[in-house]
Amino acid sequence: MLKKVIALGALILLSACGGGGGSGSTASSSSSTSTSTPTLTNLVSVVVDQGPASIDTGPDAYTSNNVAYVSVKICAPGSTTNCQTIDHVQVDTGSVGLRIFASVINSSLLSAMPTESDASGNAVGECYQYVDGYVFGSVRKADMTIGGESVASMPFQALADTGVFSNVPASCSAGGGSNLGTVSDFGANGIIGIGVTTTDCGSPCTVSGGQSAAIYYDCPTSGCVSIIARAASESAPFQQLPNPVAAFSVDNNGTLLVLPAAPAGGQSTATGTLYFGIGTQTNNSLGSATVYTTTGLSSPYGAGVLNVIYNGVTLPVSFLDSGSSLYFFIDTTITPCPANGEFDGFYCPNPALNLSPTIQGLNGASVAGAFTLYNAQTQFASTNAVVPGVGGNPSIFYPNVDFSNSFDYGLPFFYGRSVYTAIEGRSAGGTMGPYFAF
Amino acid sequence: MSGRDAVRCGLTGGFLAISLLALAAPAQASLGAARATVEADRAHMAASRVSRVSSTYAVDVMALANGGTVKEFSRPDGTVFAVAWMGPGRPDLRQLLGSHFSTVQTDNLRRGPRTRRPLTVNRADFVVQSGGHSGAFWGVAILPGATPAGFSAADVR
Repeated sequence: MLKKVIALGALILLSACGGGGGSGSTASSSSSTSTSTPTLTNLVSVVVDQGPASIDTGPDAYTSNNVAYVSVKICAPGSTTNCQTIDHVQVDTGSVGLRIFASVINSSLLSAMPTESDASGNAVGECYQYVDGYVFGSVRKADMTIGGESVASMPFQALADTGVFSNVPASCSAGGGSNLGTVSDFGANGIIGIGVTTTDCGSPCTVSGGQSAAIYYDCPTSGCVSIIARAASESAPFQQLPNPVAAFSVDNNGTLLVLPAAPAGGQSTATGTLYFGIGTQTNNSLGSATVYTTTGLSSPYGAGVLNVIYNGVTLPVSFLDSGSSLYFFIDTTITPCPANGEFDGFYCPNPALNLSPTIQGLNGASVAGAFTLYNAQTQFASTNAVVPGVGGNPSIFYPNVDFSNSFDYGLPFFYGRSVYTAIEGRSAGGTMGPYFAF
Repeated sequence: MSGRDAVRCGLTGGFLAISLLALAAPAQASLGAARATVEADRAHMAASRVSRVSSTYAVDVMALANGGTVKEFSRPDGTVFAVAWMGPGRPDLRQLLGSHFSTVQTDNLRRGPRTRRPLTVNRADFVVQSGGHSGAFWGVAILPGATPAGFSAADVR
């Protein structure tokens, strides 16, 4: 299996670097390359596989399920030689910003990528929350290339960076959950958040002490304590981490993620394509896809949520998320997997169930978001990376009461579909983002 | 294939949380404590506060600077029995959940397939449900044995 993973990694690398995007040392060179080359380069190969080789070693070895990965090239700002291609960077339409574990970056490259400085002249640190925990690290600048697209001097988060960044601030861990501080904890060498917002925080972080999923810190040598304001710039000079797609000079209004259909029992791996831009090239037009608009940053529910109607109940905080590896929803009538067992919290229907919730955009467009829910215990019995139809219940534990207001369509929903994610405030295929379309 | 590594890392995190909890104890509130501690939470979060009181329970609704909301539910005898949150970031749960925060940490050590899942707690006397994605989080922590008569779970949505 290891051999297969390495071979796939090499394939991705070829695909990612063959587009001719260059180092991206200036935005204009990237733009002219993309538009003058007959072969379209606004794309990168995506693989759903067992994950970085490093997680499948040692006594705690495991392999990934339902995680989509790409390769991303980073260079020291202005350099075309001090570069590294990072494989197994997770594709996440549910978050924003590029984050890479410092431990997988060559030391000569890491030291050549300067940390962002704040108004006090100190390095900037960042805490970023996920649904199961948080990451902490430095904010550094790199020239980034993915497929044929690039951004110069783009802030990214170097996860679990050393020195002053090795201590997680108490106000970061106070949000609860695990410190996802290693590649093994995270299940990827990094993550590229390409969700519906232009930066990873927006207005909440533009005031001192502000925070959202992102919390920015002033990091003098004594440690990272004070939460600082960072501007939500969509283009250089950046402060908050930008959505890398929003920061491209072209093809910057969203993405199209295309993954092949998965057989019912799953399969070892799958390869697909992530296209940049919507309606900007011949390979990313909306075509017959229907647009389902979502909330923006000003919503009390946050950006990127729409309605799902399940069993007659409208769940107003629902979303599509390539970074979720399951369908997460609450239905106390579906047989759960055995309590306190390895699969506690998953659904174990037998036989499989055909479910058909309605997905409804804020624009009123709706569609049956149908899928088959299989027995998770059976589905996870192999080392298949592609595991369709698995669901989890975030709250089976209090079965008499249903607090549910959310339905999370994770990566299994993306199998066999072309899913568009349009960025807030950007016109994409004739409709203003934010929206999902499929 | 199991999540043993995550368990070990999680335990380390748990010890850290417990030690920090001890340091921060004097300012702690609120779940399971008196409603008077809600004010400390409000001050800690630099939030505004609006209170609604019925014969069944009181709700203190706090609006955070980031646009998020935290609600604390208190019984007529003054005990905070539930805390709910929604917003672009998870709030300071160490502050809001008090002594229960360490339970959240230890009960969310990963197990089974290495699938990242929302924070949950499943205990007879303490339940947490949560969800969301980066930039939009929500959840509720509740003491089932302490809910007052007439309280409906739908009230915390």
